[in-house]
Amino acid sequence: MTSEARIFPVDTNFQQMARRPGGMPRDRAIERAEIEIEGIKVEFDEWLGRELAELAVAVEATRDGQHGPERLAELANRSRQLRDVSATMRFRLLSFVADSLCELLDSIAAEAEFPMNSIVCHLDALNLSARPDYRELRPDEVPDLTKGLRKVVKHAST
Amino acid sequence: MARFSINLRDLVILVADPSSYMSMLIHSMLRGFGSNKVLEARSSTSVLQVLTNQRIDILICDSRLPPHGGLPLTRAIRRKQDNANRTIPILVMTSDGRETTVKLARDAGANMVIAKPMSPGSLYDRLAWIAFNPRQFVDTPTYFGPDRRFKIEGYPNGVGRRKGDKEVEIGEEAGPALAQGDIDSLFSAMRTGQDT
Repeated sequence: MTSEARIFPVDTNFQQMARRPGGMPRDRAIERAEIEIEGIKVEFDEWLGRELAELAVAVEATRDGQHGPERLAELANRSRQLRDVSATMRFRLLSFVADSLCELLDSIAAEAEFPMNSIVCHLDALNLSARPDYRELRPDEVPDLTKGLRKVVKHAST
Repeated sequence: MARFSINLRDLVILVADPSSYMSMLIHSMLRGFGSNKVLEARSSTSVLQVLTNQRIDILICDSRLPPHGGLPLTRAIRRKQDNANRTIPILVMTSDGRETTVKLARDAGANMVIAKPMSPGSLYDRLAWIAFNPRQFVDTPTYFGPDRRFKIEGYPNGVGRRKGDKEVEIGEEAGPALAQGDIDSLFSAMRTGQDT
């Protein structure tokens, strides 16, 4: 131990208040949270439509040769948001496709070539899996689509 | 094992995420947990502004919060000596579960890292862990934050994921991202001796 280190106890307001009696038991808290999440599903469509449209614009911009680090970072951020939100909402196919796009974009960061066709292919798959009749499917219920995307990612990253 | 409950009523929680819908999702979860004072921010500059103007009880921030990122933001909050919110609990959310990112979050002064996508159960457990496991703070020339030498001995209610918890699924794991359990392990006792 050096003489420069100072160690001191901290019991923050959060910790003191969160331990008060009358808290929400875990099971009930989770059940209520699930209900709250159900309540905002109606706004998901609007958000998803906006995100997909903005993602398409970002992809279109890369078609014009603007695929520098900033543009790639924007694509990657949008894909991650799609993946994280749709997974939390349990739209499994949508999150699978978005995750595949994340993987593809991560592989581009280390490569010189820009696989526009692979990205457009993912964009199409996202639009398909965003449809209400596809959204709640599991990836294993559409094996052709999921296998195809895996092949596309593998091909693009080799 | 004793059953712990967290009481979030009247606690001011600041959720900082660049995505409006993700913020709404986290806000919904917190509301379900009984929280009634949730603020939202979309950038690290907004977070700093809020912290300057009012008391915040816990910050839940994304590791990629623009423009500087959630980890530099965490470091800035911890380093600023005249900041009344300097010791607030900071829970960092990340989609980037690589070991290096998790270590960087811990070394920036985060209390805990939660992997995205997250479930209500995983968020509840981490809030409960922070509430029931106050940690000493360490102040050295190179680090200010919760003592990094600690051990997670299970969450207050038992384990992180239970039989009844609903799964959050994403595509087949292909990268080096860590599972939440691995992230928790990384937060435990890996830097013995380095803080002091």
